[in-house]
Amino acid sequence: MSPQNTFQRKILYLVGIVVLLTLLSVLGRPATRGTEQAQDSPGGYLAQLRQKSGLSQAELGQIDPTSETIKLATFGMRGVAANILWEKANRYKMKKDWTNLAAAVRQIIKLQPNFISVWIFQGWTFAYNVSVEFDDVRDRYEWVIKGINFLKEGCQYNQHDPRLRWETGWTLSNKIGNSDERRQFRSFFKADDDFHGDRPLAERDNWLVAKSWFRKAERLVDEYGVKMKGQGPLIYRANAAKCQMSYAEAIEDDGVFGEVARQAWKTAADEWQEYGKIDLPGFGGVVIQLNDLEEREATAEKLSREMDALQEGLRGQIREEKKKTLELTNAQREAWETPPAERDTAQMILADEVEQLLKVSDPEVARRITGPARKQAQELAKRSAANEAVALAIRKARQIVNFEYWRMRAALEQLDDTLAARELVYDGSQAFYDGDLDTAKRTFEDGLAAWRKVLDAYPEMLADPTAGDDLMDVIERYRQILELRDEQLPKNFVLQDVIDRYANRE
Amino acid sequence: MQASNDVVIETRNLTKVYRDFWGRQKVRALKALDLEVRRGEIFGLLGPNGSGKTTTIKLLLGLLFPTSGQSLVFGRDATDVSKNERLGYLPEESYLYRFLNAEETLDFYGRLFKIPRAVRRQRTFELIEMVGLDWARRRQLKEYSKGMVRRIGLAQALINDPELILLDEPTTGLDPIGTREMKDLILKLRDQGKTVLMCSHLLADVQDVCDRIAILYQGELKELGRVDNLLKVRDVTEIRASGLDAQAQQEIKAVIEKHQGKLLSMGNPTSTLEELFLKIIRESEAHPGRRVRGEKES
Amino acid sequence: MVIEYAIVPFLEWLSTSFVYWLMILGGVVAAALIGSWLVVTLRHGPVVAFRCVGRVLSDTVVDLALIAPRRVLAMAWLAVKESIRRRVVVVFAVFLVLLLFAGWFLDPASSEPARLYLSFVLTATSYLVLLLALFLSALSLPADIKNKTLHTVVTKPVRPSEIVLGRILGFTAVGTVLLGIMALMSYVFVVRGLSHTHQVADADLRAVEQIDDGEPAIRQGHSSRVHKHRHEVTVDASGGVRVELEHGHWHDVSAGQSAGETVYQFGPPRGRLVARVPVYARQLRFKDPTGEDAEEGVNVGDEWGYRSFIRGGSLAAAIWTFEDITTDRFPKSSFPDGLPLEMTLEVFRTYKGQTDDPKTIPGILGSLSVGDPKTGKPIEVRLFTAKDFATDVQYIPRQVETPDGRKLDLFKDLAPDGRLEVWIRCIQPMQYFGMARADVYFRARNAQFWVNLAKGYFGIWLQMVLVIGIGAMYSTFLSGPIALLATMGTLLGGFFSRFMGDLGAGAVMGGGPIESLYRLVTQKNLIQDLEPGLKTTVIEMIDHVLEYGLWVTSSLLPEFDRFSFSEHVAKGFDVSGNLAAQCALRSLAFLIPVFVAGYLFLKTREVAR
Repeated sequence: MSPQNTFQRKILYLVGIVVLLTLLSVLGRPATRGTEQAQDSPGGYLAQLRQKSGLSQAELGQIDPTSETIKLATFGMRGVAANILWEKANRYKMKKDWTNLAAAVRQIIKLQPNFISVWIFQGWTFAYNVSVEFDDVRDRYEWVIKGINFLKEGCQYNQHDPRLRWETGWTLSNKIGNSDERRQFRSFFKADDDFHGDRPLAERDNWLVAKSWFRKAERLVDEYGVKMKGQGPLIYRANAAKCQMSYAEAIEDDGVFGEVARQAWKTAADEWQEYGKIDLPGFGGVVIQLNDLEEREATAEKLSREMDALQEGLRGQIREEKKKTLELTNAQREAWETPPAERDTAQMILADEVEQLLKVSDPEVARRITGPARKQAQELAKRSAANEAVALAIRKARQIVNFEYWRMRAALEQLDDTLAARELVYDGSQAFYDGDLDTAKRTFEDGLAAWRKVLDAYPEMLADPTAGDDLMDVIERYRQILELRDEQLPKNFVLQDVIDRYANRE
Repeated sequence: MQASNDVVIETRNLTKVYRDFWGRQKVRALKALDLEVRRGEIFGLLGPNGSGKTTTIKLLLGLLFPTSGQSLVFGRDATDVSKNERLGYLPEESYLYRFLNAEETLDFYGRLFKIPRAVRRQRTFELIEMVGLDWARRRQLKEYSKGMVRRIGLAQALINDPELILLDEPTTGLDPIGTREMKDLILKLRDQGKTVLMCSHLLADVQDVCDRIAILYQGELKELGRVDNLLKVRDVTEIRASGLDAQAQQEIKAVIEKHQGKLLSMGNPTSTLEELFLKIIRESEAHPGRRVRGEKES
Repeated sequence: MVIEYAIVPFLEWLSTSFVYWLMILGGVVAAALIGSWLVVTLRHGPVVAFRCVGRVLSDTVVDLALIAPRRVLAMAWLAVKESIRRRVVVVFAVFLVLLLFAGWFLDPASSEPARLYLSFVLTATSYLVLLLALFLSALSLPADIKNKTLHTVVTKPVRPSEIVLGRILGFTAVGTVLLGIMALMSYVFVVRGLSHTHQVADADLRAVEQIDDGEPAIRQGHSSRVHKHRHEVTVDASGGVRVELEHGHWHDVSAGQSAGETVYQFGPPRGRLVARVPVYARQLRFKDPTGEDAEEGVNVGDEWGYRSFIRGGSLAAAIWTFEDITTDRFPKSSFPDGLPLEMTLEVFRTYKGQTDDPKTIPGILGSLSVGDPKTGKPIEVRLFTAKDFATDVQYIPRQVETPDGRKLDLFKDLAPDGRLEVWIRCIQPMQYFGMARADVYFRARNAQFWVNLAKGYFGIWLQMVLVIGIGAMYSTFLSGPIALLATMGTLLGGFFSRFMGDLGAGAVMGGGPIESLYRLVTQKNLIQDLEPGLKTTVIEMIDHVLEYGLWVTSSLLPEFDRFSFSEHVAKGFDVSGNLAAQCALRSLAFLIPVFVAGYLFLKTREVAR
């Protein structure tokens, strides 16, 4: 190669380098906050992209020198390294080598601290899969806490990730509060100075701690507009309030009643009320608030009545016309012609079908209205239909989270009678465990009487299967006590209606 | 000089063909070489670069294996390790370990021979003295100049007081004084009764010290014989003188003419070995493959 | 925490392995002879070839027999000099840096930090030393050939065998010194890394109420929390302090007075760096739930088939047969409580049992018995509560009482010839115990930890020598980088040789190389059978050939991980002399042929090419 050629090549390289560097500097220009002199700048394309995907390091959370060093030391092979470690971790798990599993996982997260799924997956592995391998409850608890601490650590590395907070809350609430070993777990948790630090004893409840984590997740979504991956707001917005309910239930399980329990339920009721006020995306693309159902229904009703008032009797007229043209099957007709009180279940469904066919919607009515009122009628029909759609979406959403039950439950549990009933049943059970059958029987009977009063005050409670099963457990315990005394349930048992409804349900 | 019939080196029909990885023939480096080197003589292998001199020496040392034919040193096959006990070799470019110093180098090579420790020490000391490196004996070879490395290379070749010394281009890299000293040393070794085989492309070296030479060209032996015989041109008289003025030169011219002689040239005479050498090369190129045989010496 | 594979008694191992070795060696030698004869025949005809091979053979015998220590040492000295010049000391720097940064990843607060620390130092040293051995050995000779420094050497009366051997010895010497220093550094690192103390003050201790009023109170409390754990501390009336085991260690505590207050001084952690000497059972057999002999217990659905499970509340039992259980081995003076039996059983529950009451946490009951050689029936020694994922110690007393009241001597009556049977059953119905042979053993004594660590480094040393040998062998006929790659390939192959063996035997899911490739490309999973047809037949045929090659290669390669004692050291088991001897012989068995091969390659090559 001639010297001139070499020189040309060098110049070419130089130009290339300059061009590439310029390009990089333009694309990668960091975002700047506006000052008095200059405007806000969103930064170069790369910076914007990084911002959009939430990848900029300083945004993510704690920067750990160890982690950064390892990342550098792997020379961009950290994906491969993490993969190998993952494989290793799986093998350790298979061979039940927990020490090495924990060490391997630790290395993985040092390599990829911002890979959320790793935190979630391995936190779950520790808290759920590894813990159950141990025979001793204390060991199990150790691993549950290890899983929770692991998730908490993940939160430190990822300051703006709501999902990790949610998982932390979920493990705290569900693994500790809902597993078979919940009594031991909850008592260990209360005594766990290392976990709580200087948190006061009263707040050392897994449900309350979990609630605070769920709230943190919500706050991130609200303040930073980050998306919660894999969870709908209908569900995750309910978690915190549900935790409060579980907390109230749990302390009653532990024998705490009176003002403390009432206050716990009151807080739960308030929070549930707050939950009902949140704007949620509903079925059919409408924005709903769970509390609004009754109001929406009333509005729809009012609007259609207003429309009916524009041309009296039109709705009935249309209905009659429909009845004439309607082609029904014999079974449908038979069911519909049976008086409502005498219909059996199948007939009820059939009759309902017919009723639906005969229903005259507001737009149908509006279409038939003629004259100057026509425009107003159509306007009314539209508004009524919109309210109807929202009401439908709310009904669906309420069903999903069992909204009404919990609203009723939180209200009902605050009643003196309920509290008394629960306390009596608890005392009766204690007496039963102690072998004092007389006291047990007496206290239970008082408790059942108290329940009677609650049921009379809130008859809709009986309709809810959850509450029904709950009561059936109480009745079952009472029956046990009677059996041990060679007695049977009295003929005119106070809660006979509960037995009638739920005894054969399975 | 006393002639001896004791043959130290003998090659019979020695042929070396370099092949590539696939066994295809690449270069025919040496073609059917027959040589004998006798005890006590200085034998020179002469030829241009790539003529097969170094190949011959490597074959004699067992560093290469012959394609066909045989090379015997002290009557043993060249691949036999035991011949090395009585042999010294100075490679073309003193391939020595650069991280050792002069003493360590000689001590290391000395250990490879069956020499008592005391003798080894003694010889190390003497040889360093002899090659004039006693002032640098503790310095690593990587700090040495090329000439110094060459000298220590010579010293290591003599560490076992060998009977036969093989020198590959002994004077390359040496300054004129060094070259002179090397030549003197070679003659001294011969005087000690040792056999020396050297190869060189520097004609002057060979001419000055060798008793017999073989001229190789393109792997073929072109000439073999005593240096004085090969170079003697009977009807040429060479006159060298100094301090003659133009008139004296005219007078000498006249004397030559008077004796029916013919003045060929006058001035600085060219080396006659060079002439011989160039002649051989010219002939070889004119008639490739023909073997130029020197007359059998007495 | 057990070692998975079993160690065969030395003589038994030697007799089978030696024959195997001879067979392989014979095969290799025969293949080499025939191969070289064929190659020479192609060029020079069969007779010359025959003579050639014969001469090389006789030369080999001479060159190997007449190796002179003087020259070997000179060559070794040169190798050492060369290593120093090539700045092997850099390895120390790397090692130091590794140790400095290791503290970031090693968690001294984990439940078994000793294991993490030891695995780390052993792995780090072995990687570094092997890498060093690789570079030194594989690059040295090719460099000499390239610089032609070897010309000067081989023209001295040095045999090729001495050049190869000298190099192996020289590099080994360098490696040994390096390894020794690194071992010392690691020891200090581990001890320092694990070291910690706790504090406990009088105020932390509460008096525990005593039933008898007259008795002075015992005080209990917790130490401060260091490394994510705290110890329960009990101080009795006389001021004696007892520290409970936590995270696998305890501390010696001395109580002193300072300014009128009692100060408790915690010593360094103890019981972490141990070297247990186990006496493993010769055999583990099972009884099925009906009491019949069975090959193994049941599988409870674990992916890892190492442990077999026995059903509780049935006649199912696991029976370990120990040998050499004698009074000499377990003298009364050292074992006053009986013979310590360490168990690591796995518990598998089919139902959770009583979990309501937090105060009582019932474990699964098991029974420990010894076999009566006269009746072949077990005699129950005691009941125990199984501890999952922990090593439990039970003592087998010297006197065992039979159900009918006879007293039997453990050594005289139950193990008259040193054979003792230990039976374990699970008492609770529908719960299971899982076990493997190495899970139950007698702890004969504790060996010195540092000796054991030294043995661990001996294992690395063996690996290093092997790598040096192999590197030197390749470097005799390959150029530097190629020799390096070849050695590295052998090393990697050695680490995966067991997998290669499995692959060669067709025991790996997904078939041979071609089939796997096909599955990869077509995204077929491992379970799915290939549809029969010409394509499949061709794939399988090629795979068979490749698998055979893999099998041959895997049986020639050293199983490198078998030379590692790291697992033993890290898990706190003594590396037995038997194991060390087996590994030493195993590496010698590789070194000898490797050395001879290296010699032959160097001898038959033209140094000046």
